[in-house]
Amino acid sequence: MNLGMESAWLLPALCLLAFLILSMGALWGYARFLPDGGSWLAILAIGSGFVLFWPIAGDLLARGATAFSTPWIDVAGAHLELGMALDPLAVIMLGLVTFVALCVQVYSLGYMRGEAHYTWYFAAHSLFAAAMLGLVLADNFLLLYVAWELVGLCSYLLIGFYYERRSAAEAAKKAFVTTRLGDVGMLIGILLLFRATGTFQMSEIFHQVERGALDPGLVSAAAFLVFMGAMGKSAQFPFHVWLPDAMEGPTPVSALIHAATMVAAGVYLVARTYPLFVAAPAVLGFVTAIGLLTTLLAGSMALVMTDIKKVIAYSTVSKLGFMMVALGAGGAGLTAAIFYLATHGFFKALLFLGAGSVIHSTGHQDLSEVGGLGKKMPVTAGAFLVASLALAGVPPLSGFWSKDEALLAIQAGQGWLVYSLALVSVMLSAAYTGRLWFRLFAGEPKGAASQHAHESPWVMGLPMLALAALSLVSGFVALPEVGVALGLPGGLGQFLFFHEPEPFHFDPGVAFTSTVAALLGLAMAAGFYWQRAWSPAALQEMFAGLHRVLINKYYLDDLYQAVIDRVVLAFGAFIALFDRVVVNDTGVNGTGAIAVIAGEKLKYTETGKLPNYALAMAVGVLGVLLAAALTLLSR
Amino acid sequence: MTGLPWLSVLVFLPVAGALLLALLPAQRPLLVKQAAAVITLLDLLLAGMLWTAFDASSTAIQFVHQAPWVPPLKITYYLGVDGLSLPLVLLTALLGFLAVLVSWNINHRVKLYFALLLVLQTGVLGVFTALDFVLFFLFWEVELLPMYLLIAIWGSPPPLGRREYSAMKFLIYTILGSAFMLVGLLALYFSTGTFNLVDMARADLRNTAVPATLIFWLIFFAFAVKLPVFPFHTWLPDAHTDAPTAVSVILAGVLLKMGGYGMLRICVSLFPQVAYTWAPTLALLAVVNVLYGALVTLRQGDLKRLIAYSSVSHMGYVLLGIAALGEVGLTGAVLQMVTHGTITGLLFALVGLVYDKTHTRQIPELGGLAHRMPFIATVFMIAGLASLGLPTMSGFASEFLVFVGTFPVFGWYTLLGASGIVLTAGYILWMLERSFFRGPLARFDHVGDATLLERVPLVVLVATIMIVGLWPRAVTDVIRAGLQPILSRLG
Repeated sequence: MNLGMESAWLLPALCLLAFLILSMGALWGYARFLPDGGSWLAILAIGSGFVLFWPIAGDLLARGATAFSTPWIDVAGAHLELGMALDPLAVIMLGLVTFVALCVQVYSLGYMRGEAHYTWYFAAHSLFAAAMLGLVLADNFLLLYVAWELVGLCSYLLIGFYYERRSAAEAAKKAFVTTRLGDVGMLIGILLLFRATGTFQMSEIFHQVERGALDPGLVSAAAFLVFMGAMGKSAQFPFHVWLPDAMEGPTPVSALIHAATMVAAGVYLVARTYPLFVAAPAVLGFVTAIGLLTTLLAGSMALVMTDIKKVIAYSTVSKLGFMMVALGAGGAGLTAAIFYLATHGFFKALLFLGAGSVIHSTGHQDLSEVGGLGKKMPVTAGAFLVASLALAGVPPLSGFWSKDEALLAIQAGQGWLVYSLALVSVMLSAAYTGRLWFRLFAGEPKGAASQHAHESPWVMGLPMLALAALSLVSGFVALPEVGVALGLPGGLGQFLFFHEPEPFHFDPGVAFTSTVAALLGLAMAAGFYWQRAWSPAALQEMFAGLHRVLINKYYLDDLYQAVIDRVVLAFGAFIALFDRVVVNDTGVNGTGAIAVIAGEKLKYTETGKLPNYALAMAVGVLGVLLAAALTLLSR
Repeated sequence: MTGLPWLSVLVFLPVAGALLLALLPAQRPLLVKQAAAVITLLDLLLAGMLWTAFDASSTAIQFVHQAPWVPPLKITYYLGVDGLSLPLVLLTALLGFLAVLVSWNINHRVKLYFALLLVLQTGVLGVFTALDFVLFFLFWEVELLPMYLLIAIWGSPPPLGRREYSAMKFLIYTILGSAFMLVGLLALYFSTGTFNLVDMARADLRNTAVPATLIFWLIFFAFAVKLPVFPFHTWLPDAHTDAPTAVSVILAGVLLKMGGYGMLRICVSLFPQVAYTWAPTLALLAVVNVLYGALVTLRQGDLKRLIAYSSVSHMGYVLLGIAALGEVGLTGAVLQMVTHGTITGLLFALVGLVYDKTHTRQIPELGGLAHRMPFIATVFMIAGLASLGLPTMSGFASEFLVFVGTFPVFGWYTLLGASGIVLTAGYILWMLERSFFRGPLARFDHVGDATLLERVPLVVLVATIMIVGLWPRAVTDVIRAGLQPILSRLG
């Protein structure tokens, strides 16, 4: 069998098969006859995907990008096809998704052991993997939208995994509805492009855009609308509110879906549809602005959260915003953003798995209840440290290289203001991640739960170590020598680029500045939470107003709730009342009542006297004639 | 498929079955139910055979059964199906069979109940297959009486519901519509000298006795009541809420589709020019339906009322697709009728199960049911997701076609219509969360899940929804054949 690029569809198909077997097993109850509830089926599927990834990637390097498709609906004027394509962007995402999903699923064997709905958990993971792999392989907007909605569904299902908790059930709903707002925009954008070009095929649409065959206003509108979808999925301001709430899901889910892969789909989408954005500079500017706003807002909120998962969640929102800023820079920004997306996938998934390890061991996830775990959980602490330093961007870890590529692109494309604000975001990242690590692992165990903490089993430790290894070294792929050794034409920029290959740059000035920013952030965290040179409480006292704003998430969640309650639902209530009182009780029942009353009155006109009837007939005929005359005249 | 006039057998088998039921002993209700199930299953198999024997590459009317009936008036007995009606015929037969299964718990006047259900099925199948306007009208009226009785006798009694009010409202509303249709019918006859719908469609209707626009709207009104179109929709939530489960399934699943089907078969086919002129108005009405329906749905606390109002919203997409008067939009509209029939049929069947087991339909009183009835909860979730247009399920395929087909024509109306899917997500997910999620409630501790028999209709409908969602061509290729004559007239 030839395992070339054309067999890429096998990756989602295998996961889909696992989903079907497991979900049916969970529903009809035969899953209990499968060893370990069938979890190995899910892992087998995604593991095969990871194995298949290598020959596919090799084939891509040998033969170059390719595309293939199958018809879905065939109506004159709408030949809808489900098409797939494989190019460097897709193959990087394939590798990332299969690898992180494999790590997370293996980790889940330990983390989720003994949970009710164990089989269902792995079924949902398989469906997610299938949808996510379909999403990155899609080369037309129809399949993309289908997969896009399906990953959203999996997110909904897994956030609501502990559906008996009201907070989880509500968070799931919030995530779905919030992202759907963005999705409607994206759907309309797709329709707009279809109306203009008559196709959903992305390559064809981009070809027309680049030829200048489409109206610039239309391209801008479409780019903006597509970006709305990206904003929803990647939790960009003002749609970011769902992601922190999504932490109600099991922690491995947060690692895979709400950190490494699905939430990055918005960034991926912008990269995938980059020709639209490049042709619409105003929208690209908007992407930058939203990204910047998001990265700073979320970074500042991450500083004050005390729930471990919430800190990491806001960090994710912030870093996604950072990737958007890089994308907004145009050209080299695409390479940088996807490079960052991949390294972020490794270290952010690792942060969540580390957090999960702590939660699994102590049963707590609030910084006020756990801490000082370094000696009790050395593997977790070490892995967490690697991930934190990578996130902070300390050389030579992966985050350093990818962040610097992004900063370089921003410096070149955006000017000094955006660049300085991006540096602030880097410093914020270092500060909150330092705070998290020091509070969790430095010093003596805090509280009874931390006293009794123990290291997690190897089935959870091993995936963490694998991710830690990649968090350490994956950044080197930017270097041409490493790239060539891996079989790439050169550094990452020579493999993944928009139009022009990006030669590897290293700017000592940027590297120095960003490293200083990161170290500054880490030093502040160390000063407050490790050396205790300064008191966090005093700082909080000093900026009580600001702290209140941050801890209340800039009051945005409250604002949205008020809009939903006081505007949308209130309007719904008004319309519902109108429907009953005006349309039904007055209009319908009223007409009925008039008929009854009229009948009562009219019975007196039934006189039985011929002249009366004759008169009525005459009036009637006259009326008909008049109507006929009017109709004729009006022609 | 030669020999017997299979279409006539299909249409009249249920009513013959109803006569058979009358002969069965009343003290053996199970036998009556089994007989009804066998009859409707046979009818379903017959419809399935017609589906496989149907030649989708031909645009001709197929399985024609034609005979003179009232020769002086040129009224003929004329049955036939094309790609437009065949999917709805199959849908009717499918839901007819499932409705019998859903009614297994009926124990009050069993013989009459199932006989009426069967007569109803003949009426609906007749509407979808009649190609003579008088015959069509006759079947249209035949469906009324069983429906009225089914709601009035087996519906929710006071204080839970107002079954007699709702049944009467349904009856008066439909008859009012019929009266308008009758006037239109006569006007057409005097203009063309025929009742044959196929001939009428070929006739020159530019110089009619009464202005064509007037005839169009007279007939349209009858169908608008049925679909229903705002502001003539208020019979629907009442009828649905007070009807027994199986009747709600049929009502939402196929009766509403008679409206959409009639608009296509008669209004658009006969008066393409009038339809063109008034298309923007129709689209506006459609968008009002979608958004108005969705907004009202947001505030419904009764499961049945919620789904009933969501139907008003979803049928707006049918009208929107029709208003675009192009192949894609019309295909979407017909597909939406089929998908809405299966999805909403499933939702009503599920609500019936929930009500049977918990004795309430009030969402605020429910909660945590997924712990007690995981199977029902799972299927409810699937149905809900299908209703909110999740890709891979049939609702997405049809709504997407409607959007693709109408966007080039209407622009803003499509945008407004498409924004309705956010509201849909809102009320569906709210309903799921409040009814099935959150912690278990002590008062539902002894509530059980669906029995094996109850699972049959659920599984069949889920399978249909998934098949059509994943492979819409199975249906759209048939629809396409049926749309060609209309499209050629639209020019």
